[in-house]
Amino acid sequence: MPCPYGSSSTLYPMTTQSISRTASRLRQTYSALLGYLMVLPPLLVMVFLIFLPALQAVVRTLFVKAQGATVPTLSLVNYTAFFGNSIARSNLWFTIWITLVTVAVLFVICFPLAIYLRFSSSWIANAVQMLSLFPLFVPGIILAFALIRFIGPHGTVDTILQLIGINRFSTPYLKPAGIIIGLVWEGIPFTVLVLTAGLRQVDNALIESARDVGASQWRVFRSILLPLVQRPAMIVFCLNIIGTFGAFTLPYLLGPAAPQMMGVYMQQTYGGYQDRTGAETQAVITFLFSAIVGILYVRTVTKQRAERR
Amino acid sequence: MKALFSKVSLFGIVCALFLAACVMPAANSGQAPASNAAQPAAAPSVINVYTDGDTNISDWFANIVKPAFEKKYPQYSVNFVTVRGVGEGTKTIADRALAAMKTNSDPQAEVLDFDALGYPEMIDAGLWQKLDETNVPNAKDVVKAARTTEFSMAYRGSQVLIAYDSTKVPENEVPKTFADLIKWIKAHPGQFAYCRPDKGGSGGNFVDRAIYEVTGKDPTIFKAGPVDPALISKFDDAWALLRDIHPAIYDNGSYPAGNNPSLQLLANGSVSMISAWSDQSMQALSKGVLPDTIKLYQFTDLPMPGGYAPLSVPKNAKNMQGALDFVNFMLSQEMQISVLKDIGGFPAVEWTTLPKDLQSQFTSVITDKVPTWPGGAWSAARDKGWYENVATNMKQGE
Repeated sequence: MPCPYGSSSTLYPMTTQSISRTASRLRQTYSALLGYLMVLPPLLVMVFLIFLPALQAVVRTLFVKAQGATVPTLSLVNYTAFFGNSIARSNLWFTIWITLVTVAVLFVICFPLAIYLRFSSSWIANAVQMLSLFPLFVPGIILAFALIRFIGPHGTVDTILQLIGINRFSTPYLKPAGIIIGLVWEGIPFTVLVLTAGLRQVDNALIESARDVGASQWRVFRSILLPLVQRPAMIVFCLNIIGTFGAFTLPYLLGPAAPQMMGVYMQQTYGGYQDRTGAETQAVITFLFSAIVGILYVRTVTKQRAERR
Repeated sequence: MKALFSKVSLFGIVCALFLAACVMPAANSGQAPASNAAQPAAAPSVINVYTDGDTNISDWFANIVKPAFEKKYPQYSVNFVTVRGVGEGTKTIADRALAAMKTNSDPQAEVLDFDALGYPEMIDAGLWQKLDETNVPNAKDVVKAARTTEFSMAYRGSQVLIAYDSTKVPENEVPKTFADLIKWIKAHPGQFAYCRPDKGGSGGNFVDRAIYEVTGKDPTIFKAGPVDPALISKFDDAWALLRDIHPAIYDNGSYPAGNNPSLQLLANGSVSMISAWSDQSMQALSKGVLPDTIKLYQFTDLPMPGGYAPLSVPKNAKNMQGALDFVNFMLSQEMQISVLKDIGGFPAVEWTTLPKDLQSQFTSVITDKVPTWPGGAWSAARDKGWYENVATNMKQGE
């Protein structure tokens, strides 16, 4: 951490050794204080707005007051109710399925795009880069209504297809495909950004020397790029899964009434059915799923840090 | 040891600083009312107004009501907040006010677009201010049918109707009763849509009407407050009815996620008939969002429910006079005409108190028969039942 008092000792060249030792200790204390101060606000926000409520939710769903009892006791009844309910189960599976398909499609689209952006520096590549970042600046609700107009019934796609004589277009609006299209569109900027950054870290010298000894494009991709881009790919994978799993706006407006993604289901259970415990149980299950992927993410990142040291 | 001590003490200092920062604004806010009382004209006192109504209502509050009120009452400034889709909407704000009452703190809420009738436990807890002619003089004009509770004051009405495309549905085919509509839907698969009952009242009140249909067409048996299990068990017949038309609903049983998405399907010709709010469709017609070939009608046997939207004022509102002035202003002729002209709603005051030319212009929406669905726990039971039995054919616990 930069210390603004860094040059103070040089201003007083006549000071004795002991004074300079005290000064350096003061400096250390100061930078430690500064460090704590800077870390404190986000830490407090995390503790009070995320960890504490999450912990409370876990506790509340696990300790249930039995009929007639005065003290809540440890019970899995909320969770057995969730997994015993076929609608809840189908919503959970639906969410997992949508998430996996969305992330897979994101990789299929974004990986080639990132490789292209890594190796090309033409103006077209710059334009593509800008274009791939564009969704970053479009709010979810605007995107949802734009997509309804674009892929919806009598929308742009439908009209164009009819012009060229195809009139069997079945709209993905209010179907699972509608959610996937929306979430993929929304996820492209982040995925391309991280993958391109990861690919840029691969040393050009490595690739050139491989080519010098006669490696084919495929070989360069498989033996150099793929292993070296594993970590950014892992990061993108984890964060996309977590983001998609908890998506709300797009599944709400573009998806079917049944089954529903967990975000929509939670809101409905809480707001519509006025069943707080039920919504909380769903939240904890969603949180657990995301936590598993989160651990994967944290491990990937910490491993990277450890290696850099 | 020394190093450890300095670290601990540093942490202590940091914590103390943070605590001081937290306490300071609280101390300031404690002094605020005193200074306000001394100089009433200096800064306008804030009235916090909350709504969870659809976009047409929140836009109207923000762009028409707020400026008009602040112009007439310069001593107030309206802080208008939309809580649509946030938690349980204004119910969450009411919960907050109740919690604030218990701890004697400022609920930061003066006026809520909220019907006290649906939640008797809040009335019992003494949360709401009684509203009548003594504190809201304009209340004398409000229609009797709209005064369902003394703890809320109706300010506008609307009703769910059927909107149809007159280019596709000939006049003589337009269903006149709910039973006719069911027949029409089955005879024209894919041509009718209603939105999910929890996502918009146009769908919710359509489902309510189906429930009325199977329970003897008597809306008065549904009383506000806790649900009647005997009546709830009859909901199954409504699910059977709605499940029966499920395959004939738009796109093999696709239900749009709100009032506006429903109107969109009608506007772009994907369907030829929907259930819609009177105010939203009239506003869309006047703005040209819906073509003028779209016609509205109401069942002749028993209309679909709607109701009067009321305002409620928590007793612990910090700016009580401002809250009462705001409610009174909403019932003024100026605002009641705005309800008609700007949002296509029904006025909450007697039609006779409005200008004559308006009365004749809006004869088509003048109605005295608006069944009211009690909401609250009844809606929760309705939504749950609909999702479990109509949207999917999976039963709970299977």
